Amino acid sequence: MAAAASCSTSTRSTGSVVVAASRNSVTSFQRRGPRASGTDSGCSRLVSIAGTRPSVRNGQLLVSTGLPALDQLLGGGLAVGTVLLIEEDKYNIYSPLLFKYFLAEGIVTGHTLLVASAKEDPADILQELPAPLLDDNCKKECDEDICNHKTESNIKMKIAWRYQLLPKMEARPVSSSRFGHYYDVSKRIPQELIEASKWHGFFLPEKISSTLNLEPCSLNHGYIKLLQFIQNIIYEEGFDGSNPQKKQKNILRIGIQNLGSPLWGDDICWTENCDSNHSLTKFLYMLRGLLRSSLSACIITVPTHLIQNKAIIARVTNLSDTVVGLESFIGSEKETNPLYKDYHGLIHIRQIPQLNNLIYDVSDVKDLAFKLKRKLFTIEWVQDNYLRQERNIYPPGFSYLLKQKDSAWGEGSLQHSTFLMSFLAKGILVSFCVRCSENKEAAVGIQSCHTLAAAFASRLVRHSEPLEQTGSGRIRQAAGPRLWHDGPRQEAPGLLVIPP
Amino acid sequence: MLESLLALGGLVLLRDSVEWEGRSLLKALIKKSALCGEQVHILGCEVSEEEFREGFDSNINSRLVYHDLFRDPLNWSETGETLPGGPLEALRALCRRTDPGPVTIALDSLSWLLLHLPCTTLCQTLHTLSHQDSCHGDSSPGEQVHVLGLLHEELHGPGPLGVLSSLAQTEVTLSGAMGQASAHILYRRPQQRLTHQTQWFSILPDFSLELQGGPPLEPQPYPDPRVPSMDPTTHLTFNLRLSKKEREAKDSLTLPFQFSSEKQQALLCPGLGQATSHIFYEPDAYDDLDQEDPDDDLDV
Repeated sequence: MAAAASCSTSTRSTGSVVVAASRNSVTSFQRRGPRASGTDSGCSRLVSIAGTRPSVRNGQLLVSTGLPALDQLLGGGLAVGTVLLIEEDKYNIYSPLLFKYFLAEGIVTGHTLLVASAKEDPADILQELPAPLLDDNCKKECDEDICNHKTESNIKMKIAWRYQLLPKMEARPVSSSRFGHYYDVSKRIPQELIEASKWHGFFLPEKISSTLNLEPCSLNHGYIKLLQFIQNIIYEEGFDGSNPQKKQKNILRIGIQNLGSPLWGDDICWTENCDSNHSLTKFLYMLRGLLRSSLSACIITVPTHLIQNKAIIARVTNLSDTVVGLESFIGSEKETNPLYKDYHGLIHIRQIPQLNNLIYDVSDVKDLAFKLKRKLFTIEWVQDNYLRQERNIYPPGFSYLLKQKDSAWGEGSLQHSTFLMSFLAKGILVSFCVRCSENKEAAVGIQSCHTLAAAFASRLVRHSEPLEQTGSGRIRQAAGPRLWHDGPRQEAPGLLVIPP
Repeated sequence: MLESLLALGGLVLLRDSVEWEGRSLLKALIKKSALCGEQVHILGCEVSEEEFREGFDSNINSRLVYHDLFRDPLNWSETGETLPGGPLEALRALCRRTDPGPVTIALDSLSWLLLHLPCTTLCQTLHTLSHQDSCHGDSSPGEQVHVLGLLHEELHGPGPLGVLSSLAQTEVTLSGAMGQASAHILYRRPQQRLTHQTQWFSILPDFSLELQGGPPLEPQPYPDPRVPSMDPTTHLTFNLRLSKKEREAKDSLTLPFQFSSEKQQALLCPGLGQATSHIFYEPDAYDDLDQEDPDDDLDV
């Protein structure tokens, strides 16, 4: 179902059979429309849920986490039916931000929300969500924050002259039907968006009367109530398929804040050996069971820096599907390290799920850092700091711009080779579509280069045969979106060769 | 910032130790808020009421509402003077109080409560106590509840200390040097960055707070500027910048397989007339052209 749904979630030209001279189309391949026999609701191939898309690797249905950079790091997005665990940073400054991005994304795409917290009222949490950047104000906002970005469309191109007439590809999402939106954290979400959305709140102090004499039980009472609440919502609203004919399918986004803290009634942050050692793990196990059988995705923030027993942290990590850890520099010695001077903390992708695959991808990139600017939360590679020449941002996995204006791009020159090798050795240049690239000169230049010396590589990677120099500017083989390919990066086509 | 601690609202944690005791600072803060006209409730567990009230003059003493848990914590004497239900009930009674106006609640001490109450209930009650204003609708700054908790940090392990730090809005750690006491204040404003400051102070005999210079440190949101260390852009194996000559050499390089500009234009011009590109395909003898979409057979 997911694989065939891909044809409906991408461009909206499914209805028209021939789109001859559309202004933006850059290809002659036309999409065949749906068959004339029509679409009935039983034909689940064409049902698409707003705000989701199938993964390019295994067809798994994905939702966005609200941060397009984090989506890329997680392999396209968060899979429906899984749990995203955020390990909180020490003073809990940045993890609520990721939590809010997830919820805001749900509101913008029209998903149903379920917010559970023991600390704040869910209605207050929803009031503080960041405002989405949509359409025309998006470009204006993004250009203020993202650093200057000189367009080269007026410059007559020397190498990539065939691409001069191509229209510039739009780099930012411009409509709410897209996957992944950008948000402005300095503004609040407009009230009408919250009112138009459907949400359910679970505030623990309201649900549990504190004077109740609670007999000890294997699972914490707060957790039991929360599980019952989630199960009721899933059943009543039909997310588990219990009311198939009723209405359009939708995704339930569940957000649970500060799970495992004493405010939920859990002891694990207090002592190492406590009676309710297994409450949290049992809760996560049952929650995962609920999620797997319904169309929902869940984000949980856990203060793992407070949990005293390391075994519990390991169990909690194993029970979650995707684990992202935040480590802020406040108060630590890394604050004064010059390498980290532009960042506010490190982000660790500790685990990516192994869904419908035999193997999974551990991200090769180990040094990701985040920075909370006034309006945006950005994630970057740490080594970029001194490798990039202008302050561009290289989120991993994008097919992209290489601004190497200052490097010597003479064909076969040593500086060209070493500069490029240092980039490649850090794993920055992987996917490379000339059409999408903003610097077409560089893109074609890199593709035609095959004289790189392996001595400059800081990592030895085995690659296939180099590209043949065809001289006609036609792309023989583009390094496709294979960053998240199966296993270690063995076959990056045609860019490097190791002398025997 | 020490004098405006109470303006910040929420739970203020005063961490003291054997060398630098915190009860005098607690009493100084209580005196300050009593003089501001706030109601002050004190939950006394560690010292007797007489000892606590000693040093305050009479008008302040009249404003303090003292809940005594020291004399008879388990209510053995059954005189009805002490609060039934013990400390938990006393805290819950404070949560339920409905008098309007700003109020300061001093817990002397949180360590005693930690040792006598189950931790999760204590945390939940503290959270309700310090966030009481939000239940009453709009919370103007004057209506805030300030909770001051005295914590002896040597009595507890890292677990409880970490949990209480995460619950607290402000954390004041007392230390000092050469007979001079200092307070390291860590303040977490919601939605904003963490700020910290170290303030040297002394408490006068009548429990008023006197701020001192001491070894001076200004309030700063970031630590001291770092010692400039090695610049990472040295000793690179590649060029980050081009000299002028290199730039000229690069620009004048003739690229292989470069057409002359006329031929370029000739190739480009037909592209201007049409918006899409064309695919010219001549089927081979062995090609099997089938117009159907093979995916149509899939029953997905």
